[in-house]
Amino acid sequence: MIKKYVMIFIVVLAVSAGAGWVFFGCAFEEEISHDPAPCEEEDYIVIGLSQIGSESDWRNANTESFKSVFTAGNGYYLLYEDAQQKQENQLKAVRDFILQEVDYIILDPIVETGWDTVLMEAADAGIPVILVDRQILLENDELYTCWVGSNFREEGRAAGRWLEDYLKLQSRENKEIRIVTLQGTPESSAQIGRTSGFADVLSEHDNWNMLDKRNGEFTQAKGQEVMRDFLKLYEDIDVVVSENDNMTFGAIEAIEAAGKTCGPGGDMIILSFDAVRAAIQFMQAGKINAVFECNPLLGPKVAEIIERLEAGEQVEKIQYIEETYFDTSMDLEKILKERVY
Amino acid sequence: MSKNQASAAGSFRDKLKNLTDTNLLLAITIIVFFLMYLGAVIFQGGGFLKPQAFFNILSANAALVILSCGLSLVMITGGIDISVGGVTALISMCCAVYLDFHGGNVMTSAVIALAIGLGFGLFQGFLVAYLDIQPFIVTLAGMFFARGLTTIVNTKPFNVANEAFTKLKMTRVTVPFMGSVNKRGIYVDAYVEIGVAVAVLVVILMFCFLRWTKLGRSFYAVGGNAQSALMLGINVKRTRFISHVLCGLLAGIGGFVYFLHVGSGSASHAAGAEMDAIASSIIGGTMLTGGVGNIAGTFFGVLSLGTIQNIVSSAGLDQAWWSGITRAVMLCLFLVIQSVVMARKKKA
Amino acid sequence: MKKENSIFMKIVRNQCFIPLMALLLLVVFNLIADPGFFKITLADNSAGNPILSGFLITILDSGSELAILAIGMTLVTAASGGQDISVGAAVAIAGSVLLRVLCGTNSRPETLQAPIIAAFLVSCVAAMLFGAFNGVLVAYFKIQPMIATLILYTAGRSIAAWINNNELPVISEPSFKYFGEFIPGIPIPTPFFIAVACMIVTALALKFTNLRLYTQAVGINQSSSRLNGLNPAVIKVMSFVILGVCVAVVALIKVSRIATINYSVIAKDIEMDAILAVALGGNALSGGRFNMAASIIGAYVIQFLTTTLYKFKVQSDALPAYKAVVVIVLVVVSAPVVREWFAGFSKKFMKREAA
Repeated sequence: MIKKYVMIFIVVLAVSAGAGWVFFGCAFEEEISHDPAPCEEEDYIVIGLSQIGSESDWRNANTESFKSVFTAGNGYYLLYEDAQQKQENQLKAVRDFILQEVDYIILDPIVETGWDTVLMEAADAGIPVILVDRQILLENDELYTCWVGSNFREEGRAAGRWLEDYLKLQSRENKEIRIVTLQGTPESSAQIGRTSGFADVLSEHDNWNMLDKRNGEFTQAKGQEVMRDFLKLYEDIDVVVSENDNMTFGAIEAIEAAGKTCGPGGDMIILSFDAVRAAIQFMQAGKINAVFECNPLLGPKVAEIIERLEAGEQVEKIQYIEETYFDTSMDLEKILKERVY
Repeated sequence: MSKNQASAAGSFRDKLKNLTDTNLLLAITIIVFFLMYLGAVIFQGGGFLKPQAFFNILSANAALVILSCGLSLVMITGGIDISVGGVTALISMCCAVYLDFHGGNVMTSAVIALAIGLGFGLFQGFLVAYLDIQPFIVTLAGMFFARGLTTIVNTKPFNVANEAFTKLKMTRVTVPFMGSVNKRGIYVDAYVEIGVAVAVLVVILMFCFLRWTKLGRSFYAVGGNAQSALMLGINVKRTRFISHVLCGLLAGIGGFVYFLHVGSGSASHAAGAEMDAIASSIIGGTMLTGGVGNIAGTFFGVLSLGTIQNIVSSAGLDQAWWSGITRAVMLCLFLVIQSVVMARKKKA
Repeated sequence: MKKENSIFMKIVRNQCFIPLMALLLLVVFNLIADPGFFKITLADNSAGNPILSGFLITILDSGSELAILAIGMTLVTAASGGQDISVGAAVAIAGSVLLRVLCGTNSRPETLQAPIIAAFLVSCVAAMLFGAFNGVLVAYFKIQPMIATLILYTAGRSIAAWINNNELPVISEPSFKYFGEFIPGIPIPTPFFIAVACMIVTALALKFTNLRLYTQAVGINQSSSRLNGLNPAVIKVMSFVILGVCVAVVALIKVSRIATINYSVIAKDIEMDAILAVALGGNALSGGRFNMAASIIGAYVIQFLTTTLYKFKVQSDALPAYKAVVVIVLVVVSAPVVREWFAGFSKKFMKREAA
């Protein structure tokens, strides 16, 4: 009997020791050097960043932009939490930040609703909340300090207007144009903005026929799956509007696997959003017609806002980041050299 | 008459041995949990010192506690139910659709939740107990069905806007004397979500049920050795049936608590919840082979898993993958401990 | 009269009957609903190579992955009496290792860092190691297979992401896509050929080695197999290792299809389909005798069902519900209690007829 207890005791000790070693060891290996009990460091500005996940290149570039700006060298201490695409994880992350008494909370909300309670808790605790990228539907605007991000609706409209001009160039502006849309995560502001922005221009043209819009979840794998379905269900698709680059990559796979072509001179026109490096390279290869930039490099702008808040200034509520678009008529080589992501 | 008494005494001795092992495993679970929490407090300090951190873990895992209780019940009788996660997702979607699209009231949605859970429990219990089909495949089909049905009910995920519901969702149960001072210097009471009260009630009820009712004890008998249970005069089929029905009912309750916690309907809710529930039960000392198990252990098992997640995220490690690895390591170690205990018992 | 009966009985009692019946039902259903389902077209793809396309080709294509996994899963089920629910996560790990070897540390390399065959062998070894891990837990620690594999199920995708530092490497080398798609000049998708190759290897192994004998013996009665000189633990571990090889092959196909990987999505829920294929093949989930051909047919039947539902525009998220109904019907009909009830019922019916 005693032998059994001794053995169990040894195993438990081994578990605890192993777990402790893993955590201590890995915590020191992390690029962002963590000291225990960060809140005792008065000199650092402690930031809690609740990110949606790492589902696409755009998202990763966005995260990297924050991580590279909010470093110990710049006087910041960053607590980063990846919510793996779940709202309840983000709610928990914000609550943890409040408990740990961070100085600022940066939140990229995965969906538009359900944040009232947690933002009130942050306000009660006196922690300013900066929203980035996606937007929230809120009754009380006072609950967040400001929002920084892209004008998604404008991106959608830009795509629509570009298509208008392109069709005029091709003398197809009066023919029936069959369009399909690969949508992003449902209810996300990126998806809502781009779909409705494009719809604004769509409504002006009777000959533009939106055949179908389906959820591609902003990922390459799902984009490929949905495009495969579209190709099986609809003949003669003229335009594919894909609400982010990763879905576009998947769509191109599906299109080529079905024996069709896309891009300038191809069977289908492809419009994509985000404008990551790989997308521009695809444009060089002649597979995408135009990409509409969604600038993920929000880090520097947010850091600037925090500095102004620290200095006691007021900041504008809604701040759009500068964005543009690229198509095959431009000098893509030069553009590629200048792109950071 | 005396033969029955003798065999009853013999099986009581067996039960005692089993119970001792149960207690041993329970002790290990509790010790490990406290060690981990202590480690978290020492290592992180700051936020973890506040009792609110512990209550946050409770609030986030209230639904899992209830689901795990149900799963422990089934596992004690020697079965398994992997449909609880899917049932939870189905309940959240159905209730959300009912509240927002059909303008229902909260009471009825709770009844709907219970009905769905009970329905699954009855159907699966019947197939397992009376048609003698393996519980794994029946509940696997149940899980498939529930998840698929969730998407059929409504394709897009959405947050519930019904006012009465959101009021209930935001209700806080204050825990007196455990509050803390926040950043601004204001004293904030510690609180838990309303689901925690339900979870605690369920745990207490199930604990009493297993320990002090005849039916509860027959769960252990059936799981330990169905043949001898049959000879003791226990209706094995009915016991198994009831365990699945209870598990379904608890899935209904847990599903509604989950719905209260997330406040939305989505097909990806509670993904992997059944595996979390199984892991919690195992960490809590329930053996998959049946006959051994403890609701108190299951409760601490859930807390342990929740604490791991907190430790991982506070350590600044990428929670996404470290959480999975650490939970798997814990599960692995507890399985090894369990098998060691079983092996020793066989030798003795 | 009696001879006819016995041949009929033989056909019905053959284990392959159930999946073949299911297949027949599906074929008939599709013939009635839309004969166009069976259309196959030969056209040129974007690279100028002729390829076959059509729903039947899709079934052969995607079903092949499932068939390869079903081979391994059948052996594991037969030897250990339980199921391995970690195959999806294991595919993620194997795929991740494959990409890691091919891409090195650069996530978008211009050229491959190693020959594809070498990368495949490394990923095979990795998959076999994880398979052995599961096997040891089941065989030496006597943990139930479903619970033992729960560990890898929980941690596997995290490990896969960690191998590549949470990046999504992309391969641009065209020859890599041959495995998951088409070899130029051959109109039938490559996965089908890979599956056939695996089937041939398995058939040879089952016929010319003692694999079937040992596996079934261990599954039917572990203690008497030990008395007969077998080492049940070794055989169980071996079955998991073979499943590991199958996992590596499937990972190669899947990664090659999209030339990249998505850790949380790749091979999602494939373990359930694999278990279903084994069950549909009439194999007892509690171990023992097995019929490999029935499992393989079962795998293609499951894919047939999936594709049929796809065609009817059923959302891919709702598919599991339909699969569940099929499983329940199947499992209820083959339950011994139900069979006895049917037998009793038909006897009564016969008696009434005779009288």
